[in-house]
Amino acid sequence: MGTDPFYQKLQEISWRRKLTSAEERELREWLAAHPEVQETVELESGLTEVLAKMPDVPVASNFTVRVLQAVEREAMAEARRAGSRWKLWKRFPRWLPRVASATLVVTAAGSLYLYNQSAQAKQRRELVQRVARVQLPSPEILTNFDAIRIVSTTPAPDEQLLALFQ
Amino acid sequence: MSAERDPDAALMLRVKQGDTAAFEQLVEKYKQPVMNVVYRMLHDATEAEDVAQNVFVQVYKSAARYEVSSKFSTWLFTIARNLSLNELRRRSRHPADSMDAGHPEQEEQPSQQFEDKKTFSPPESLLHGELEQKIEEALTELPENQRTAILLCRQDELSYEDIAKVLQCSLSATKSLIHRGREALKQKLKPYLRTGVWRDIK
Repeated sequence: MGTDPFYQKLQEISWRRKLTSAEERELREWLAAHPEVQETVELESGLTEVLAKMPDVPVASNFTVRVLQAVEREAMAEARRAGSRWKLWKRFPRWLPRVASATLVVTAAGSLYLYNQSAQAKQRRELVQRVARVQLPSPEILTNFDAIRIVSTTPAPDEQLLALFQ
Repeated sequence: MSAERDPDAALMLRVKQGDTAAFEQLVEKYKQPVMNVVYRMLHDATEAEDVAQNVFVQVYKSAARYEVSSKFSTWLFTIARNLSLNELRRRSRHPADSMDAGHPEQEEQPSQQFEDKKTFSPPESLLHGELEQKIEEALTELPENQRTAILLCRQDELSYEDIAKVLQCSLSATKSLIHRGREALKQKLKPYLRTGVWRDIK
């Protein structure tokens, strides 16, 4: 019966409030055709009334005052936070030249270092390319290397003696 | 949703401009509904009051960012639920902190824990004693989302769509939560509901 749209609609209304006399009349007419739901409807309406009659939880009479005080405390804390941010901002101009100089020095040193690194790498690359381009002699010219070396170590001819012979 | 259609949103826009009187009006209007929901989620009067106060402080702090995109009460109860859930999570992480939270039996009169309490008005509180205790117990035993859905259902200004927004679920899921919660409550309270004893209690 819970799926009957008419009953479901009235049920959802009854969850929120007591039915109006017109709605109650409609419900009574509907119940006449569906007597098996009578108990369920009574329990539903009883529960709605019981829930509606649940007493309010006591609230301290100074609740609002305490909320306003808490809000004021929050506002003061926020003002303090804003004040400290402002102080920081006011001090900032004094930092500025120092921070700027330090940044400049660090940036310059870093740039110089990077430039040197890059120049050295370039030099190394060029050297490797130059060596690669050099034409080395053929190994065949070294065949009589030892004989030539020995000949070159014999004493030089006596020039005066040769002159006398002539 | 426009500020003209929601007077609370209009008040909130005044709060945004720094109008403390408008904020005070909102606190006065909603302190009771917020306390009802928060207390029944936490079951500790002191913690509930702290959380409820924090709800309003959050409202004030968020005023600058407030946009009238939905009803003020929806936004307020969403904050209330989130802060209560945070408190429940904190409590589950540090169970020792909540040892002062009394047993349900001791919480029949939470007003005893307030330093400055308003007099409880008997004509408005029709449910007392056993039945009142049974209702509170039955509500406590419900899963959090079912309990919150049923408690929010008591707020006249919240439609089912608004409740769904607070619970961050679909409309059909919200109705299903309410239905299941009510079924559980009916089962537990059946003997009392059948007798109709609640009709006669003054």
